Amino acid sequence: MAQQATAVTTEQKLWGGGRSPFNVSYGKMMMWFFLLSDAFTFGAFLISYGTTRFFSAVWPDPNKVFHAFPFMGHMNLPLLFVSLMTFILIMSSVTMVLAVHAGHYGDKANVQKWLMWTIVGGICFLSCQAWEWTHLHHQGAWWGSFTDASTPLDMIKGFFSDKTMADPAFAAGAGLQSTHDFYNYFFTITGFHGGHVASGVVLLIVALINTVNGTYEKRGHYEMIEKIGLYWHFVDLVWVFVFTCFYLL
Amino acid sequence: MSQHDYSDNIKLHYYEGDQSKLYSGVMNHHYHHDVKSKESKQQIGRIWKVFWILLAVTVVEVIIGMFFSHHMPKALVAFFFLALTLFKAGYIVSVFMHLGDELKNFIIMILIPLTLFIWFILAFLMDGHFWLHMNSTVPVR
Repeated sequence: MAQQATAVTTEQKLWGGGRSPFNVSYGKMMMWFFLLSDAFTFGAFLISYGTTRFFSAVWPDPNKVFHAFPFMGHMNLPLLFVSLMTFILIMSSVTMVLAVHAGHYGDKANVQKWLMWTIVGGICFLSCQAWEWTHLHHQGAWWGSFTDASTPLDMIKGFFSDKTMADPAFAAGAGLQSTHDFYNYFFTITGFHGGHVASGVVLLIVALINTVNGTYEKRGHYEMIEKIGLYWHFVDLVWVFVFTCFYLL
Repeated sequence: MSQHDYSDNIKLHYYEGDQSKLYSGVMNHHYHHDVKSKESKQQIGRIWKVFWILLAVTVVEVIIGMFFSHHMPKALVAFFFLALTLFKAGYIVSVFMHLGDELKNFIIMILIPLTLFIWFILAFLMDGHFWLHMNSTVPVR
């Protein structure tokens, strides 16, 4: 703790070089900066979604779009599947924090165990997302879908609430246009997020292999686990916002 | 040739390679030796506590989203969901990502740019709403 005592004494010693002014390593600080930049990217996507939605006279109802559950056929279970996905990701965040905690104490066995569970959680989430995408695609949704003006309204009625469909703008073309916009945004944003989850899983597997091989034990610290943990929590955080914007609001 | 300062070379290796010896306090300021110690158990307890909080908040959000959001004014629904989401985000960032344990100046450095977001969000949503208003109320000539 001598480091922290020096930090409060003289400005000169803090920014004089040869030490970290914030008491964090270069790698950790750069990971935070990267996460900040990534937050802006996701934020820009979500704000763009919000702007388009505010610009639309009508908009699909998430309770109607997301009502399916695997193996439950045509049962109407609004928002249940995405709640399961959120739970899985939060769970994997907890196992990640426990892995980082074990790393702080040099407890290799527990680092391995909790990393393993985090990887399982990530793969489960990706599988759920793949199911969601496939299911929606079977209903005709994709990038650039619902552009044909002669599409019968029956094809999109399943995505809107009854109250919205009573609005004259719905039949006049706004229904089709907003369905098109909604799915463009949905696949882009969840796809970009899914890409982050997938790359996170790859990084976690690499970290697990390194842990098993004793790389971090030899190094004397498990900071790499902590840095990957930051990335993983960021991925969870983004999902919390995507979940709110797409499924709740 | 003999001007090589070996201590600088060693430092260079540390900057570019394994940094644990460069920042002698930084890497292992958490480094204790007993994962079964009271301190460790307390931290683990804290982690699980935050998990239950996050789960409870998510369940509340989903219930409101499923049953009550259609009978509430839109602005209230939006405010409610955003407030709960920020609440969850705060816990994840400060406890899971350990930002709450870092030096204050570092925390500020990360959080200040995000406040710009508030302006960003408000500006664009108001803009979108204004476009809709203009497109649906300006009389045809």
